[in-house]
Amino acid sequence: MVQEALILQDIQIDDFLTIFVSSGLVLVFGGFYVGIYTAVKTKLLKNWAMPFAYLFWILTCYCFYLMGSLMHVNDFTAKALMVAAIGLLLLPHAVYYMQDQVHKKNEH
Amino acid sequence: MANNYLTSESKKLATWYFTFAAILFGAQLLFGLVAAIQFVVPGFLFEILDFSVARMVHINALVVWMVFAMMGSVYWLLPDETGIETVGIGLGKLLYWVFVAAITVVVLVYLFVQVGPADITTIWFINEGREYLEAPRWADIGIVIVVLGFIYNLYATGMKGNRSGIITVLMADMLAFAGIYLAGMGYTDNISMDQFWWWWVIHMWVEATWEVFVGSIAAYGLITMIGAHRKTVEMWLWIEVAMLFGSGILGIGHHYFWIGTPEYWWEIGALFSALEPLPLVAMFIHVLYDWGKMQGEQDAQGKEVSVISNKPAFTWFVLNAFGNFVGAGIWGFFHTFPQVNLYTHGTQFTSAHGHLAFFGAYATILIGMFYLAVQGKNGIKVMYTTKKSIWATCMIFGGVLGMTAALTMAGYVQVLVSRAQMGATWAGYFDGQAGVWFAQGMDWRLIMGVITFVGFIVLMIDLLSIGKAAHHER
Amino acid sequence: MAKKSVWSDNRFWQRSAAWVTGFAAMLMIWLTFDTIPQIVLGSDADFKNGVTKRVPGPTVINYKITYEMNAKRMHEIPVIGGANAEGTSSFQEKELFFGRDDWSEDEARELLALGKLGSQAKNCMNCHTLLGNGAYYAPDLTKAWLDPAWGPEGSMQAMTGKDTKEEAMAEFLMHPSQYPTHARMMPNLGITAAEAKGLVAFLKHMSSIDTNGFPRNFGKIKGAVHGK
Repeated sequence: MVQEALILQDIQIDDFLTIFVSSGLVLVFGGFYVGIYTAVKTKLLKNWAMPFAYLFWILTCYCFYLMGSLMHVNDFTAKALMVAAIGLLLLPHAVYYMQDQVHKKNEH
Repeated sequence: MANNYLTSESKKLATWYFTFAAILFGAQLLFGLVAAIQFVVPGFLFEILDFSVARMVHINALVVWMVFAMMGSVYWLLPDETGIETVGIGLGKLLYWVFVAAITVVVLVYLFVQVGPADITTIWFINEGREYLEAPRWADIGIVIVVLGFIYNLYATGMKGNRSGIITVLMADMLAFAGIYLAGMGYTDNISMDQFWWWWVIHMWVEATWEVFVGSIAAYGLITMIGAHRKTVEMWLWIEVAMLFGSGILGIGHHYFWIGTPEYWWEIGALFSALEPLPLVAMFIHVLYDWGKMQGEQDAQGKEVSVISNKPAFTWFVLNAFGNFVGAGIWGFFHTFPQVNLYTHGTQFTSAHGHLAFFGAYATILIGMFYLAVQGKNGIKVMYTTKKSIWATCMIFGGVLGMTAALTMAGYVQVLVSRAQMGATWAGYFDGQAGVWFAQGMDWRLIMGVITFVGFIVLMIDLLSIGKAAHHER
Repeated sequence: MAKKSVWSDNRFWQRSAAWVTGFAAMLMIWLTFDTIPQIVLGSDADFKNGVTKRVPGPTVINYKITYEMNAKRMHEIPVIGGANAEGTSSFQEKELFFGRDDWSEDEARELLALGKLGSQAKNCMNCHTLLGNGAYYAPDLTKAWLDPAWGPEGSMQAMTGKDTKEEAMAEFLMHPSQYPTHARMMPNLGITAAEAKGLVAFLKHMSSIDTNGFPRNFGKIKGAVHGK
């Protein structure tokens, strides 16, 4: 099952802080993305805010990349990170779509 | 009690559970303070009430108050959801006293006997010495009996009355919750095997079944407090169940990185752990979305009032959604990958995550349930905050966030000094502990712990007095 | 009229939740069945046959244990009885444990059981970490047996006045507050001589468990530490 070693090399001492901060920011930016998207859809924010939501998603991806490369992840983990990033991109769309369907159904 | 508006026996029983839970919550914080002082003043209560004992009571009181409050929450919502009085309420009351008596004896033995000789009688009667599951075996059996009775009540009521989506989820979840406990009752000479099954209990509780429980309670809260549409809420609940169990069950892999289990758990743990925050994001958004939607509907009708029927409880429910995301999500995520966990495993990082996650994911929503019970007991239609409830919320939440920040700082020193460079040896450990930032982290943790404890006292005063305040709508 | 959509149908989501949960649970159970045989306690015969187990048999106390970087796995692994050409255990080199290197399977098993029970009865885990799990008030015990502090060049043998690692450890465990190593001391837990012996056997056995390279760089770096 394991083709290559998962832990390829030691993490540099100076990289730890960047890793912790960027992996924390993954979810913070991810949260902003989802939050702004939802706020725009529920009309708490105007439509012009939407590009910022996607900007935060891009920042999330960058943090994933930074974290992954400093941790020296292998191919498998890199793929897992990509799946997570795409999952995050789709999540609020799916949420909104379904929420909308239910509300439509209940209101008619 | 004078002026008890509760007509349902089940709800009365729920208030008993909440009361004992609150007492244990206080004990948890008190012994946490003792342990925090020992980090700063090592000689404090040395060989009288050592760190191991203080911490054991700290974490056991934590688990048990949450279990009590969870059972209380179920007894509270059963009549509302099923539309009937809980079946077997007499049994419920009897088991309540059995449980209270057992827990009292267990804690007294922890405090006054503390340790025993290295034989199986210690495991049976004093403590099992396994973090979180220290309860001796006689108490394990007692807990199983109590929980079986509780499950019987839940199932009998759910099957007799209206079985809503929330009740269905709870029935399945509580059965899993109880069944999993059995995995932690055995004894083995093999420490790897021991920890393998031990994590079955701990992980499957706090990262799977308890999270689903929180989802159900949040669903109930949204319906009762802001009048969210049941159909929407229950649909979300099912989606959350799918996401939580889908990622949470195999997320156990992140506990199997270093305990002797095969390397493939690295990949499984990394993949499912990366997915674990997604349901937490979804839960957070769902709460805010429903709130916005309901308020929007209300506003559209030209009414300028809030849709929230219990302000303090709803505040705690929102803090739950936020705390779950931050504590379990962010603080869990940043040390969940094996590449990083190799250095952070077993440092104060874990402790920082543990504090914020247990608090954010569970304590918050259960405190919210306390406020719902106060509202019901006092026959209040719309309950508003008092100055005390705001102070309590700020102090407790701020205190726990502060402790988390302090522990994170201390953990960072440990990672750099004790782990990355010194490789977790005896000398490396103490070098890390001697770091200035580490020591400061421990000081701040204690200060923040005191703030949390004062906040807890204000919370208790508020819970006891808020019902009598005049500004609620009755 | 809104179209009836499967995405807004509660029964669809209820079924999905059941299927997802069921699938995850089945996978978990299957993986458990795969993992359990890999972590059962080994036996004395394994050493004789040159079989490396993730959790070696209790008679591992008769052997010398080291913790070496393995080129293939790219992390440290426990090496029992000296390394072979591939850098894994050769089970050749023995080591005296309380004066003997011929502990029988039954004796070693009894000693390990006593130690494991002792580790629970004395609540080790609420100060120390074992395999990284537990409390963070005292050092990790995963590889304590291999800790340089207890070795011939470490301070503990001289402090306890003992000539061997196991005797120094046992003496410390019996009278911890007599040998303060730090302001934060270990309390006296009433550990008897027999229990101490068992606990040391338990620690030696634990150090031989293959923990996938945890802890990293154990005891490798000496001297100045960067960023302290």
